[in-house]
Amino acid sequence: MATMTETRRRKHDRGAPPGRRRGVSRRDSTGATPVSRGVWPLMLPAIIVTGALVLMPVLYTGWLALSDRRPNGENAGFVGTSNFSQMFDDPLFWNSVRVTLFLLVVCLTVETLLGLALGYLLSIDVPGRRIFQGLMLIPAITASVAVALVWLLIYDPTLGAANQILDAVGIDPVVWLGDPDIAPWSIAIVDIWQWTPLMALIIAAGIRALPSEPFEAAGIDGASNWKKARHVALPLLMPVISVAVLLRTVDLVRFFDTVYIMTQGGPVNSTNTLNVYGYRSAFIDQEASYAAALQLSLLLLVVAIAGVFTWWRRRQIVEY
Amino acid sequence: MSTDTPSARVTNRAGDTGAARGARRSRSSRPAGASLGTRRRAPVYAGYLAAALVFFGPVLFMVWSAFRRNVDITGSIFNLTSPLTLDNFTNLFERFAFFYYIRNSFIIAGRSTLLGLLLGVPAAYVIVRRRLAAVGFMTLLARMAPGVMFVLPLFVLSVNIGAPSNNGLNFLLLIAAHLIITLPLCVWLLIPFFEDIPVTLEEAAMLDGCTVGQRFRNVVLPLALPGLSVAVTLSFIFSWNFFLFALALANSDTLPLPVIAFNFIGQGSSDYGGLMAASTLISMPAFLLTILAQRWLVRGLTGGAVK
Repeated sequence: MATMTETRRRKHDRGAPPGRRRGVSRRDSTGATPVSRGVWPLMLPAIIVTGALVLMPVLYTGWLALSDRRPNGENAGFVGTSNFSQMFDDPLFWNSVRVTLFLLVVCLTVETLLGLALGYLLSIDVPGRRIFQGLMLIPAITASVAVALVWLLIYDPTLGAANQILDAVGIDPVVWLGDPDIAPWSIAIVDIWQWTPLMALIIAAGIRALPSEPFEAAGIDGASNWKKARHVALPLLMPVISVAVLLRTVDLVRFFDTVYIMTQGGPVNSTNTLNVYGYRSAFIDQEASYAAALQLSLLLLVVAIAGVFTWWRRRQIVEY
Repeated sequence: MSTDTPSARVTNRAGDTGAARGARRSRSSRPAGASLGTRRRAPVYAGYLAAALVFFGPVLFMVWSAFRRNVDITGSIFNLTSPLTLDNFTNLFERFAFFYYIRNSFIIAGRSTLLGLLLGVPAAYVIVRRRLAAVGFMTLLARMAPGVMFVLPLFVLSVNIGAPSNNGLNFLLLIAAHLIITLPLCVWLLIPFFEDIPVTLEEAAMLDGCTVGQRFRNVVLPLALPGLSVAVTLSFIFSWNFFLFALALANSDTLPLPVIAFNFIGQGSSDYGGLMAASTLISMPAFLLTILAQRWLVRGLTGGAVK
């Protein structure tokens, strides 16, 4: 049955004018790909589902942001950009932008630096390296709910492990999640803990794939180990590092589960990221339209970051 | 003669070893000597130990706490000899009907993974073979979009179709919502695997008269099997772990594990043993699958950046 339909499709396509086929894909005219016929039935389901699941919500969010949906579900209709002007006047919005950028910068910096060190460690060939490398995935794949719950226990002000360890070395206990000045750092520590190993794995693979010739040449020129690392290895690693940084940036902007479970944005909104604020204004404050405006600004941030990195990576590739 | 030979051989051998030892010593005085290998391993393993303490510590702490009594959890963490118990787990199953929520999680994660695979495998194959880089980039964008973006429209939809009061519809909606995670992930993970399959193999099959469907079934799929296992594993884990959609969309009958664990915080704030047991159970599939598919996971999680 399937074979029959395939044959029929092939016959049909063979009869189609070449111009129409070129319209489907410009690459097709080269005839280099064996899958030149009957591809749309393979693609269409995924495209339709992705469109329905991804595009529709985004468009609907756009409509919500431009209208006024009341908590009872009625929509008062088009209100123009008033949700956005409300957003720009909202100190909580600017606070959440600040919190999001704070976490982004702190986590990215620490994860990249630690990832470089750990990545170097994981790139050295010793027996057991592969197994250890696999085990390093555990923090990344542990459910973020479990991660948040165990760190809640670790951060517990009176009986938590963190303060017990600090106490053992003679440091005063810290109010990890209750102090607005400390809570963002505590959240950053959790993210750094969870994602540095993945960063290190990517960097380790990059280090192992480095060619040896530039290092030999630098050695002949009398470069010290530090200079080799700084001026030979690091520039060669830049493309790999930028991939890792892009992956982390995108995930950090979406950072929700851990923050929401551990602090719900508190204390005093000190961990209220754009994500958490968007969720809270939709489901706790019941301001759907305002939340939609917040979420669009979040999407804008993600697209902007992706754009910057695509541009930056293209520049990197041209240079090397 | 016969008595002489062994002694001569002994002296001879002794002389040999002495020379060899001397040679080795002179070699080891240089920086790249053979014996330095083991000496250089020591700091690497010391680094492993430090990294393990930091990065496995909290996970081990979680599993350990799941088996401790609440009295001990709230006591000193240096009390390593405190008695272990299964009470936290039996409590979960007897008092909170945990099996029911495990079943919910399996329904949602399992079916969204299956659907994501069914839709994603052909799509990824076509993207690679037709070199539709733009479509590939779109899936990347779909993967990057913040989950919060989707919750509100889905919630409005769920209210409009009456999903909050209808368990079947509610499951359907949750599976569809989780497809937002699994489908782009599948496509994105499979692309590098399909790229590795040489076109010439398919051309050979084409010359033998295979149709597109036959080529896909008999040539491409067997070769892409590692990629498929990565896609299944990671989609399942990501869907299983995903918290946000169910938090907003599920009703009390369709709650999956992550949300029920989150709800525990409110109910019994001092029951850390129960919370840790729940966390351990939630993390089990991920731990098991990591052990089974470890080699491919590194590559899969990093999107082909690591081979």
